[in-house]
Amino acid sequence: MKNRIFTVLLGMGILVPAASLIAHHSPSAIFDMKNKVSLKGTVTKVDWVNPHIVVYMDAKTDDGKVENWKFESNPPRWFTKVGVNRADFAAAIGQTVTVEFVKAVDGSKYGYLQKIAFPNGNLIALEDSSVKDEIRP
Amino acid sequence: MKPHPAIQAVSLVTIAVFSAGVAYSQEQPAVQAKIAATAGKTKPAAAAGKIRRTPDGHPDLSGMWTFGIDLPHGDLKKVVNGKVTTSHYDQTARHHASDDVPGALPWDKTPSYKPEYQENVKNLAANESKVDPVFYCDKPGTPRIGSPRKIIQLPKETIFLYEDISGDTFRIIPTDGRPHRANANPSAYGDAIGHWEKDTFVVETTNFVDDTWFGENGYMHSDKMRVIERLWLTPDGNLAYQATVEDPVVLTKPWTNFARVIPPNNDPIEESPACKEDDGHRLQNLDHHLQR
Repeated sequence: MKNRIFTVLLGMGILVPAASLIAHHSPSAIFDMKNKVSLKGTVTKVDWVNPHIVVYMDAKTDDGKVENWKFESNPPRWFTKVGVNRADFAAAIGQTVTVEFVKAVDGSKYGYLQKIAFPNGNLIALEDSSVKDEIRP
Repeated sequence: MKPHPAIQAVSLVTIAVFSAGVAYSQEQPAVQAKIAATAGKTKPAAAAGKIRRTPDGHPDLSGMWTFGIDLPHGDLKKVVNGKVTTSHYDQTARHHASDDVPGALPWDKTPSYKPEYQENVKNLAANESKVDPVFYCDKPGTPRIGSPRKIIQLPKETIFLYEDISGDTFRIIPTDGRPHRANANPSAYGDAIGHWEKDTFVVETTNFVDDTWFGENGYMHSDKMRVIERLWLTPDGNLAYQATVEDPVVLTKPWTNFARVIPPNNDPIEESPACKEDDGHRLQNLDHHLQR
């Protein structure tokens, strides 16, 4: 792989079910849920839109070429409800961050964002629910 | 009157496999304390057995109530300046919590469609991620939008305010005995009038367009649909909400959904960001899940 995408070690756990709801399709309809990857780059834009927020990032390949990545994540309402606002993401604009995501099956530079780590140690991450969700009829 | 042609056309689409995600899910009450910081819950105003009332003697439904649309059920971990927090959003208000909601009508798991519509509904459900209007940011309509986020109960009308990704809508429900509007255009949320049956606020809505679904799983309807919503206060100060759908064109009998119990919630109502779904062309399969 020419660009700086690294498969996240299995020790990080299997995919985050947090990403498995909203917008009606399941992420598994678009993303390779078993292939969680990590990528370092510079965030260029944050769109606080429904039904998913969208984060744009430029990442350099090993040969210096800049690739434009686009990530969707959970809906704005969900982030707001758990205490994360647009400003928390927008703080990453212009900064070099490390993101973790699952890639679109179609091979495009598109992913479902699950973690963004800031250079100062701050972090926003979707995680497995600590709560057992009951299935109801 | 036939359902919307686009909905009929979908019956030709090949049936695919349901994902497990279509089942309702519910979170444990135990998590509620954990999310208290962001949930903004208020203490129930009524002591057990006593409910708030307006000067005219009706129960007072006014207030802000918990957001009622399914959101992802995972956690959010946040690290800020070394401080780690984990948050989880409680969605119990959205789901069937109990069969023992005081005042609730008996309910059915699924609506009963006439035989000639059953295959169509089955196909719509199987292809939901591709054909559900809500997926593409259209209005959920009544009653799929669920319970209101805010209720303003006035002597002659009651106002429902909603937060919804398709646009934050409202319904103004006259309660002074006037009939339905004679010349209103059909709409997704319909034309509503309300009245009280003892301590239950009953909202009767007609004059719908026929291109919304009244529930998950391909629940299409005709423009002859009539929706009866019942709202009342539980003894512990929560809002109870239950909807019945009548449609003599496509259903064999009225369908009553389960009652939801919705706690108060003083989170401010925020304008919903624009809805721009761009994933349709990326779908590789029909995996989908419950949204509302």
